[in-house]
Amino acid sequence: MNKGLHRYTLLVTGATFFLLIAGALVTSNDAGLATSDWPLSNGQVFPRMVGNLFWEHGHRMVATTVGILTIGLALYFYRSEPRVAVRRLGELSLIGVIAQGLLGGLTVKLNLPLAVSAAHATLAQLFFCTLVSLSVFTSQGWLEDRRALTEKGGPPLRYLSAAATVTIFLQLILGATLRHSAPWDQFLPKELVIAHIGGAITVLLVLGATVLLVIKRYAGESYLTRPAWLAVGLLLVQIGLGITAYLTRLKSPYDPQPLNPMIGITVAHVACGALVFATTIVLTLRIFRSVRVSEPAYELAAV
Amino acid sequence: MFSKNTASLLALTILIALIGLGSACGDKGTTNGPNTNTGGPSAKFSPKGNEGSIAGVVAFEGTAPAPKKVDTTADAACGSKNPNLETEDNMVKDGKLANAFVYIKEGTLADGTKITGLTFDTPSAPVNLDQNGCHYVPHVSGAMVNQKLNITNSDPTQHNIHFTPKNNDDWNQSQPNGAAPLTHEFKRAEVLVPVKCNQHPWMKAYVGVLKHPFFAVSKADGTYEIKGVPPGTYTLAAWHEGPGNGTEKTVQVTVAASAAAKGDFSFSAATAGNAPSLEMLPALEVPVVVAAPRH
Repeated sequence: MNKGLHRYTLLVTGATFFLLIAGALVTSNDAGLATSDWPLSNGQVFPRMVGNLFWEHGHRMVATTVGILTIGLALYFYRSEPRVAVRRLGELSLIGVIAQGLLGGLTVKLNLPLAVSAAHATLAQLFFCTLVSLSVFTSQGWLEDRRALTEKGGPPLRYLSAAATVTIFLQLILGATLRHSAPWDQFLPKELVIAHIGGAITVLLVLGATVLLVIKRYAGESYLTRPAWLAVGLLLVQIGLGITAYLTRLKSPYDPQPLNPMIGITVAHVACGALVFATTIVLTLRIFRSVRVSEPAYELAAV
Repeated sequence: MFSKNTASLLALTILIALIGLGSACGDKGTTNGPNTNTGGPSAKFSPKGNEGSIAGVVAFEGTAPAPKKVDTTADAACGSKNPNLETEDNMVKDGKLANAFVYIKEGTLADGTKITGLTFDTPSAPVNLDQNGCHYVPHVSGAMVNQKLNITNSDPTQHNIHFTPKNNDDWNQSQPNGAAPLTHEFKRAEVLVPVKCNQHPWMKAYVGVLKHPFFAVSKADGTYEIKGVPPGTYTLAAWHEGPGNGTEKTVQVTVAASAAAKGDFSFSAATAGNAPSLEMLPALEVPVVVAAPRH
């Protein structure tokens, strides 16, 4: 195991999580267009960071840092990672961060069109997902020899956990679209709110089923049960945050400006959503790593 | 250093994004839609000397929501210049409402011509919009299509002026303190275009954009007057801001030759910016099963 590579990947993953929070703060403060130019702010590299320019330019500074860290990450993987697929994923992260930076520029230059802003928020989650995966692939638990577990009948856990990951990703896209569909002083579109609630129920069912099966089938395997418990715990916190965020957001159009309770709770909701996604990715990858498909499937494959 | 596929993908990503950025940075002026004030078979309006006027009062029934204090701590320059900054959405004094935008929405002149079918000269004088004390002065104003807006920054801090229209192009421009005035014009009629500053999110203003000059904004005593109105029968509208798209009310007025017509309006607390209680929040239509009472 390359400890240095794993630690550096964790560092970039942590920095990206912080970047997600910085981006969410931009949206909740309605600061995305605090300056009309990009990549400079008001024609300066270091403008006076007062008012909402603090959030927008701060986001750009954090993003620049993550961009530089990711260049280092891609180089590190290129030089040190023997597995071709993992090395490619490391290189892919560089493409992701460049695309994300340019997409951020487009959102400013096009005055935050919903599609571009939602794509920017979605790609942020995909980039984060890539880094979480790289963190898993470089971890000791992934690389060490592991006793293979077999499916004990019932719905295949591999498919179920993959479905949970996809469902959460779709829910994140819905959430990003909802957040960017109306600024703080406008009401959120009811249809999108209902769709997001529907998405939350679906995530609860699919992820809940995955976690239940993991705990039921592999109770003694902390390699699987730890991320499972964490994912479901975070999901419950996330649902609570979602309800509170909705209530504070309903009142927001009557406020004189974006107020801290609304900002804090909506940003926490975004951050917790990313953590649910990350934990589910870890769980899914670990399931794919350690759980083998059941015997009948092998027989079918042999045929 | 990267594999061929990765390098190709990287190059493609950068190329697509640069093309997108390049097109985004292009001259947006050329993307504006047709000039709705010129061209076509519309007849040009020419005063006949028998124009009248419409005047009235915009009242506010009930208790208006109190102005809310704005927290300016994010930018000390705002707090020092305007320490008592408050919201301006319900400027009510003695039951009279200021900042209502009153305009002729539609109607027919005495000779049967529809007012919406006429064209009007665009005034050469610009409409001024100043950022002063971290709020807009005036809070509500009117302009004709293609009339220049002269935007100034009188504050010791930077602003960005951001028009968020529905029928016109979105426009956002930074304006640091001491910067030269900016100008902007709207290509299409729209009542009303919201204006905001993303640096100071409490800053809001509205500009009513019309093809004709028959509009006014109610003063502090609620009065307004629209002059030079040709004789005819019109739908007169008054718009008052509020959460969502604000509230509009209409009345019918008839302007006789060289006479003054009257058009009064009344808004109330029901349409003003009171935050709803939890019970009043828009309910999601979730089916509910109610158990039958036991006897």
